[in-house]
Amino acid sequence: MQTAVANANDIHSHDTHHGADHAHHELSFIRKYIFSTDHKVIAKQFMVVSLFFLFVGGLFALMIRWQLAYPGSAIPLIGNILPTNWVSDGAVTANFYTQLLTLHGTVMIFYVIIPLAVGMFGNFCIPLMIGTDDMALPRLNMFSFWLVPPAGLILLSGFFYDSGTAAAGWTGYPPLGPTSGPGQTTWLVSLFMIGFSSIMGGTNYMATVLNKRAKGMQLFQMPLTVWGLFITAILIVLGTPVLAAAISMQLCDQYLHTGFFMPDNLLVTAPDNTYVTNAFIAQGNQLLEHKQLLGGGGQPILWQHLFWFYSHPAVYIMILPGMGIVSDVLSTFARKPLFGYKAMIFAIMAIAFLGFLVWGHHMFQSGMNPLLGTTFMLSTIVIAVPSAIKIFNWLGTIWKGNIRFTAANMNALAFIATFIIGGLSGVFMASAPVDIYIHDTYFIVAHIHYVLFGGALFAIFSGIYYWFPKMYGKMLSENLGRKHFYWSFIFFNLTFYPMHILGVGGHMRRIYNPYIYEFLQPLQPMNQFVTFAAIVLGFSQLILIVNIFWSLKYGKAAPRNPWQANTLEWSAPAHPGHGNFDTDIVVYRGPYEFSVPGRDSDFYPQTEPPSENEVPIHSGH
Amino acid sequence: MNFDLSKGLEWAYKDMLTFFPENVSTFGAQLDSMFALIYWFSVGTFFLTYGLLVIFMIKYRYNENRKAYYFHGNNLIEFTWTLLPTIFFVGLGLWSDGAWTKTKYASRVPKPDVEIDVMGYQSGFGWEFRYAGPDGVFGNKDREQITISNPFGIDSNDIHGKDDFVIISPGGARPIPIHLPVNKNILVNLSSNDVLHSFFLPNFRVKQDALPGQWIKVWFNGSKIGTYELACAELCGTGHYNMRGQVFIDSQADYDKWLDEQYKITKPVLEAPVSSDTTIVASVDTKDSKTTKN
Repeated sequence: MQTAVANANDIHSHDTHHGADHAHHELSFIRKYIFSTDHKVIAKQFMVVSLFFLFVGGLFALMIRWQLAYPGSAIPLIGNILPTNWVSDGAVTANFYTQLLTLHGTVMIFYVIIPLAVGMFGNFCIPLMIGTDDMALPRLNMFSFWLVPPAGLILLSGFFYDSGTAAAGWTGYPPLGPTSGPGQTTWLVSLFMIGFSSIMGGTNYMATVLNKRAKGMQLFQMPLTVWGLFITAILIVLGTPVLAAAISMQLCDQYLHTGFFMPDNLLVTAPDNTYVTNAFIAQGNQLLEHKQLLGGGGQPILWQHLFWFYSHPAVYIMILPGMGIVSDVLSTFARKPLFGYKAMIFAIMAIAFLGFLVWGHHMFQSGMNPLLGTTFMLSTIVIAVPSAIKIFNWLGTIWKGNIRFTAANMNALAFIATFIIGGLSGVFMASAPVDIYIHDTYFIVAHIHYVLFGGALFAIFSGIYYWFPKMYGKMLSENLGRKHFYWSFIFFNLTFYPMHILGVGGHMRRIYNPYIYEFLQPLQPMNQFVTFAAIVLGFSQLILIVNIFWSLKYGKAAPRNPWQANTLEWSAPAHPGHGNFDTDIVVYRGPYEFSVPGRDSDFYPQTEPPSENEVPIHSGH
Repeated sequence: MNFDLSKGLEWAYKDMLTFFPENVSTFGAQLDSMFALIYWFSVGTFFLTYGLLVIFMIKYRYNENRKAYYFHGNNLIEFTWTLLPTIFFVGLGLWSDGAWTKTKYASRVPKPDVEIDVMGYQSGFGWEFRYAGPDGVFGNKDREQITISNPFGIDSNDIHGKDDFVIISPGGARPIPIHLPVNKNILVNLSSNDVLHSFFLPNFRVKQDALPGQWIKVWFNGSKIGTYELACAELCGTGHYNMRGQVFIDSQADYDKWLDEQYKITKPVLEAPVSSDTTIVASVDTKDSKTTKN
């Protein structure tokens, strides 16, 4: 172990020299800003691309919402300028609606939350917070980003097929998925690529955390953000290959007529609503007599097992970095040590471990043997425990603190508030018999948005407000930040809380026109209310964009440590260049030594050498 | 663009539990009460945690003359708030299991009084129902014999299949209703010939995905005469939203009468060639499946 660390340090110092050489010769614009290997530039690239996709995905959501509020009426402003195979008389068609809901889910999960939470913060925070100059594998890092834009373009290009893009939901369940035309292919290929981006990133984070920590930094002296990202990286590396395998199998079903997911004797419908068969698909649009599917012998449920074996841990991939960010932000702004540092880390580990044992709760009603339902119900319900521990510890952290309400901290507190609701609504679904009724209703939609928007995205906002000064050397406007927070938080709740009620009313997901059902007709006014709230919520996000651009131009120059925080990144220069640190970093203590008795200042950076007669602090009680 | 704000705000001033559609199945009340229990637990937890959150935010807001309490946590506290939720949640899981096995385990399906076969279909989006006919016995199924007009693959060699009749109900505003008797154990054999569907009877608290290549047993017992809606809850294509069906729960006498009528109505249809876009009551027996098989 000792030699491994020594070797790592050798590599580290070699890299430093290498980096320094480059700094002497000016890097070309392309090498510096486009094909950069600097982890901070890559983080910014992830941020820009993902924020772009945030608006794309949000636009999809608003089009979906408009249809649910006023089915068949033209979308205001944009309805009449969209191509006619997407809209009729300005209103989305059923086919386009199904594409929108598929792409909304896909974009938000794979192109917004994961790249922001993991790609952006993983890249920016890990090297800075463990006190090193860059990632362990900088070129792999660059490659992992540069898979994202082409993957995104491939995904969006699907819209330009005559038959449209993928329309089998973000879950892509067979037999609908492989039989639904070329759009599904762009979807599969794009997910395959972004999956590889994730795997490369995850490998890199693990290597970096294990090999490149600054002198003196033990694993249990790392801040929770790094812990969250480290455990996330493990989840990614274990889970994503399974998704990649499943995607390959679906592609084979689609083009090589294998039967992984296709049972015998299927009668499948093509987009033009005629019964066709696999033979039809095999022979390229040559409509055969009504014969039975040729491929077969497979199991549609196999896809669900493989998909959720990745996609349930993916929920934790999206939330664990956020939990880490929130822990750091709360402790910093409560000026108080994080409550139960080790318990928090063990809770993250427990969530990650259990996260691989619970995927079947997405499949309670799928036709899986109900005996497995019992098993997955118990494992799922147990995962509520580490989540509860985290909530209690965050509450313990602000207890007797001295809380500063910065925009970053408000978003962190909002994370706790919404995660409580998202966690509680999860208990309903975890109980398999209760799930029978609410499964595939808006109750689930409410839950996932409370966890992914209310949870992950508020944590991401918190992180953006918190680390923006270190990223760009400028302070974000607190005033605009607070405005963005209030509008987002209020309209987030007005948008997604009523969805629980819609779900209790029986409102199914993915329904183009709910009001053909008599029992859903009374819910229309609530759907309209949700739509108006969603529109405001969507436009509120423009405040963040305005804030970013305004602050880049007019913002105050950021000091080295604007929040008086303890972690290593604040020992770096205000706007660190390639190579990060201008001093030798030595770590003396844990990251949460706030308000230490007997000190004048209420913080105690990890790098500050202890005074002569001081009793050393043992981190991590 | 009319909008009724007071109705749009119903979620804010009405109790969540009042939004459930009326329950008319025997096990539905138990599932609803389980939902209610978790709901009240959630309300309690919500007020506890939000209370603490808000109190701490107000009481410990920034004051430059005060220093935060230097405290890293306490193992006994951690242990306590690990153990208590564990006991509660494991208890909830074990308690939930009873209702789960009762409603879903194939081995615990009660002896059926009426048995029907149901499939969702994607070509035009609707439901196919198969009744056993006057003899009350289904003919064998043979997946090799599945065609558009014989979606259940009724075996042409089986005498019991001769009187089986099939209702192909289109989705949308005017589905063809099916009838079932009140206070009887209904067993639905559920499957699909194309993609996944989900058999959702909101009033009966029944939901089960239809899985091509597999027959899944779904049971319920309707306790109130009336008309109820059937929905598809699993995305099955562009017309997924349109897969509306209708279920009449009748008295036994009315049900018997309807069954008899259906059999007679569908009889002439039996003789006529069945076209592939049948959207009216259609019936299939062995002769049909033979003539349309190729």
